[in-house]
Amino acid sequence: MKPVAAIACLGLAAAILAGCGPNPPPRRLGFGDVEQGKIIAGREACGSCHLISGMQQADGLVGPPLDAFGRRTVIAGVLPNTTDNLTRWLKSPQAVVPGNAMPDTRLTDQQARDLAAFLESLQ
Amino acid sequence: MRPVPTPLKWLLAGLVGFAGAGVLAGAAALYVIFSGAFDASASTPHRAIVAWATHTTMIRSVRARAADITAPRAFSAAEVQAGLGSYDQHCVACHGGPGIPRAPFVSAMTPTAPYLLDAARRWSPAELYYIVHRGVKMTAMPAWGEVLSDKETWNLVAFLEALPKMSAADYARLRQAQLAAASPARPDR
Repeated sequence: MKPVAAIACLGLAAAILAGCGPNPPPRRLGFGDVEQGKIIAGREACGSCHLISGMQQADGLVGPPLDAFGRRTVIAGVLPNTTDNLTRWLKSPQAVVPGNAMPDTRLTDQQARDLAAFLESLQ
Repeated sequence: MRPVPTPLKWLLAGLVGFAGAGVLAGAAALYVIFSGAFDASASTPHRAIVAWATHTTMIRSVRARAADITAPRAFSAAEVQAGLGSYDQHCVACHGGPGIPRAPFVSAMTPTAPYLLDAARRWSPAELYYIVHRGVKMTAMPAWGEVLSDKETWNLVAFLEALPKMSAADYARLRQAQLAAASPARPDR
C-alpha cells in the first residue's frame, strides 16, 4: 500500500472510532472555555487537594474528588450546583463557608468561568 | 565468496539498527537543545510527557535518597509550634495553608507550588525532611538546608505532619501564639 493511502485509511479509522465514544458533554457556549479551565486548574494547584481523573498530579485527598462534578447536585454541601454558584464558590469559598480549608482564589471573572466550565465538563 | 550464515546476518542487522536508533535519538536530542523548538517559558504548561517524566524522576529520586535518613519517632507540640513559625515566615507565600491562598505570582510558576495540606500522607517524615533540606531542581523549591538549621528543618517536618489535622482556625490560633511568643524581640533573618 502506498504511504498516502495508508495514512488516509488510518485517518478514516480514527474518525470512525472517534464517532463511537459517548457524546461530548453539552457546553455552555460563550460561558467559559473548558481547555483554558483545565490549564487554570493546573495553575491553581487544585490537584494538590482534589482528585481529578485524567489530570496529572491531581491526586489530593483533602477535599472531595472532582470526578463527575458536572453531575453533582450541591457545591460544598450548601450551594445548588449552578454555573453562577460554582463561579462564586471558586472565587471566594471563604465567603460561602467561612473557615473551610479551601482558600479564596484571585481568579478574574473570566478565569473563574473557564474553571467552572472545565468542572462542569467532568461528567 | 562464502555466504554469511543467517544467525550472523540477523545479529549484524540488529547491531546496525541499534546503532542507527542511537544516532537518531542523539540527533533528536541535539535538535531539541539547539533549535529553540522547546518552549522554556513558564506561561505554558509542561507537555504531559515532560510533566510525567520530571515529576516521576523527582519522586523516585527523593524516595531513594531519603531512605537512610532516620526521622524522630514523634514530634512535640513545641516543635509543631516552632515549625509553624518557620512555615509562616518562609513557606506560606508559595504553598498556602488551610484556608490561606498562595501569593498571586505562584499560579504563574511552572511547575506551580502545591498546597501541602496532605503532604504528610504523600511523603514520609524522612522524605519531607529531604525535600525541604535539599530543595528540588528545576522547580522554585530552594534547598532550605542552606538557610535553616537541621533542627529548624525538622520543626518544619513536625508542622507538616500536624497539618492534615489542622483547621484554618487552628492555624490562625497557633500563628497568633507564635507571633506573641516571638515579639517584641523578633530577630530578622
